Amino acid sequence: MATRTRPISSEFLFLKAMALFVVWVLLSASFAWIHLGLGFICSFAVAWINSGHSPFVPKFRLWLRILLYLPWLFYKIVQSSLQLTKLILHPALPIAPQLISVETKLRHHAAVVLLGNSITLTPGTITAEVDRNKLIIHAMDKTLAEDITSKQIESKIADIFKDEEPDL
Amino acid sequence: MDILSIIFIVAGLFFLIVAAIGVIRLPDVFSRSHAVSLTDSLGAFLMLIGIAWHEGLGTNMLKILVVLALLYILNPGITHATVRAALRSGLKPWKKENS
Repeated sequence: MATRTRPISSEFLFLKAMALFVVWVLLSASFAWIHLGLGFICSFAVAWINSGHSPFVPKFRLWLRILLYLPWLFYKIVQSSLQLTKLILHPALPIAPQLISVETKLRHHAAVVLLGNSITLTPGTITAEVDRNKLIIHAMDKTLAEDITSKQIESKIADIFKDEEPDL
Repeated sequence: MDILSIIFIVAGLFFLIVAAIGVIRLPDVFSRSHAVSLTDSLGAFLMLIGIAWHEGLGTNMLKILVVLALLYILNPGITHATVRAALRSGLKPWKKENS
């Protein structure tokens, strides 16, 4: 997951943290214990996150894209919520539940998780089983299932992850 | 309490009631869990937005928004676990008789 191929040595990590700490002290110009302690912890945390030792590397571009994807997902949620409400309140209860199995072309664990989560979050469709890139989905009726079979969500998510290293 | 938060909360209540009706009317676990997911996707969302609006800017609003974010992340997981357990235990989804 780390983007650095070689983590930096622990001596260098210590030096980096110290340099950050000096900058902190210069900028804060306060020698109260609480400020010095916080600065110490923060400078080590920053140095560690950026050292290649930590399992998580901040991926700002990816998070920004996910954030931009959420409004669209919310629009979809509202749309199918209203559809499902209509189905439930209809006197004849015109539902036709079905299991559909879908294969995705997504090649990231996180992307498949995001897809499954989005599908479940959208009322009327639930991810019942996930196996690498095969999903079994329970859908309430045909029109609600069309969102899945048309691969609209999947292509959006593929767009989000297009610049990441595949890990599946 | 201002009018906007009342509108939000009443709209949320409407979806919660629809979800409850759905749980009673629908035939099996799978379709019922669809109705339940209506609760957290719109019902709880509108309710919490209404409450957050009522609270106004501040830490309470922030806490409510954190609850909302957690709800949206965790609830699909729970729904998925329930449905998968039902499917793996061999429960057959209800089907329309004439199809």
